[in-house]
Amino acid sequence: MPLLESTYRNQSALASYCRTGNYRPIKGINKKNITQYRRLVFSIVDDMLTSAFPLAYGLVSNREWASLTKDFFSNHPCSSPQVWHMPKEFYHYLSTIRHPLLAKYPFLLELLWFEWLEIDLYMMADKIVPYNSIGDISTDALVLNPESHFQHFNYPVHLKNAKKITKADHSNYYLTIHRLPETGSVSFTNLSPALLRMLEILANQPCTVTALSQQVCSELGITYTDDILKTTTGFIQESLQSQLIIGFAPN
Amino acid sequence: MVGIGFRKDFAAELLQSNTLSPSFIEVAPENWIGVGGYWKKLFYKALEKYPLYTHGLSLSIGSPDELDYDFLKKVKLFLTETNAEIYSEHLSYAKCDNAHLYDLLPIPFTQDAAMHVAKRIEMIQNVLDRKIAIEIVSYYSPVAPEITEIDFINLILKQTDCDLLLDVNNVYVNSFNHQYDAKQFINALPLERVSYIHMAGHLQLSDTLIIDTHGEAIIDPVFDLFEHTIKKLGRDIPVLLERDFNIPELEELQLEIDRLQTIKQDALKKENYAAA
Ligand SMILES: [Fe+2]
Repeated sequence: MPLLESTYRNQSALASYCRTGNYRPIKGINKKNITQYRRLVFSIVDDMLTSAFPLAYGLVSNREWASLTKDFFSNHPCSSPQVWHMPKEFYHYLSTIRHPLLAKYPFLLELLWFEWLEIDLYMMADKIVPYNSIGDISTDALVLNPESHFQHFNYPVHLKNAKKITKADHSNYYLTIHRLPETGSVSFTNLSPALLRMLEILANQPCTVTALSQQVCSELGITYTDDILKTTTGFIQESLQSQLIIGFAPN
Repeated sequence: MVGIGFRKDFAAELLQSNTLSPSFIEVAPENWIGVGGYWKKLFYKALEKYPLYTHGLSLSIGSPDELDYDFLKKVKLFLTETNAEIYSEHLSYAKCDNAHLYDLLPIPFTQDAAMHVAKRIEMIQNVLDRKIAIEIVSYYSPVAPEITEIDFINLILKQTDCDLLLDVNNVYVNSFNHQYDAKQFINALPLERVSYIHMAGHLQLSDTLIIDTHGEAIIDPVFDLFEHTIKKLGRDIPVLLERDFNIPELEELQLEIDRLQTIKQDALKKENYAAA
């Protein structure tokens, strides 16, 4: 006996009421109690998004936040069975529909993405690559922390209080986000484009500090000097310390 | 055996001290699949200490939508990797028209829905290659019912060989909300199919409505219903204390675990005397 069309319609009516608040009559229901489902479903959505995006939530007014979250949950069919993926779907939904609030807060999407990245890096499945913790910084190939992500922003959402960001801040900002192997905590590093480029090269394969400096110099059309090597080595030392670079390639 | 729902809120404390000593822990696979880093480390430490029971949230057995086979395969892998002893899911739907709702909506009590659910349980068991346990959920309104709740459940159980997860608090909540006798309801279930029991607290919103929150302590009438259930069962089965919100000191949770253990032991002792 297949599911009857009428049963499907009743199930769909209840689900759609929970998502949108628009009620289509269902036989035999308790009209007063059914409102609990809308309340409970929406409080799960609101709790999830509010806790995932504390900065964005603090930036916009309560009314604006409610309009964003209600719009999202009514119009976007959440596709992940895992509720903690919802913030990512929220970000993607807002970036596709170009919500009017994005004109008022031109950096809102970047702020949401920045907040999601922190969750994403903290939660993501472990990535394991071979490396040695001990090595010679001047001669051994360096290994990038595989649990890292490179990001470019047009607004300094990672540097400035969101309420103080203005159109005048529009520029190019480069950063990395990585997870510390022991504690699992997430760390952000603000970088120049040249340093970020070095990390991109390392992401492809382990590489020595000299080869890194030489390649970036040639890409930028700068003459390679000892001073540049010294600056790069300093950056690599800091990155080893912060575990953005986790160690040295095994021979 | 009395276990506890493994919550991030007290995960670290549970592992660091012996204040709380459950016989097993229960998690929702949805909350742990694909998770690495800090939480994975902690979770695997817990797995070294406790057997794992699992209780799914999003498989949406009662949904009119297609079964999500990709997700089901991930669940299967998770159950293998974690050596999970039980996989249970809810007799409800959490997804419709391709949208997840992340909550448990009541299935219409109709014959066609019961057949549909039974068929899906079979499909799930085939993929997972194991028997699952289904849980009767609490609900706040019937949806276009054509048969009674008990007939609906028993029809499903007749059509398939899955186990039953009996959430005693859910039966209490439903008996209050829909005005029936909780003990009679339990007596009318095929109790030989019950493999696992859930116990939890709830919130009474009004004279006519209780919401199943898992955010309060278990109340005495629910403990009484638990005693009744164990006596009727006449055998020892695993019991879980569910506490998802408003989590108290672990000492308090341990007291609830102790009380469940005592009630169960006493009820079974008396049953054995009666049988002897
Ligand atoms: Fe339960």
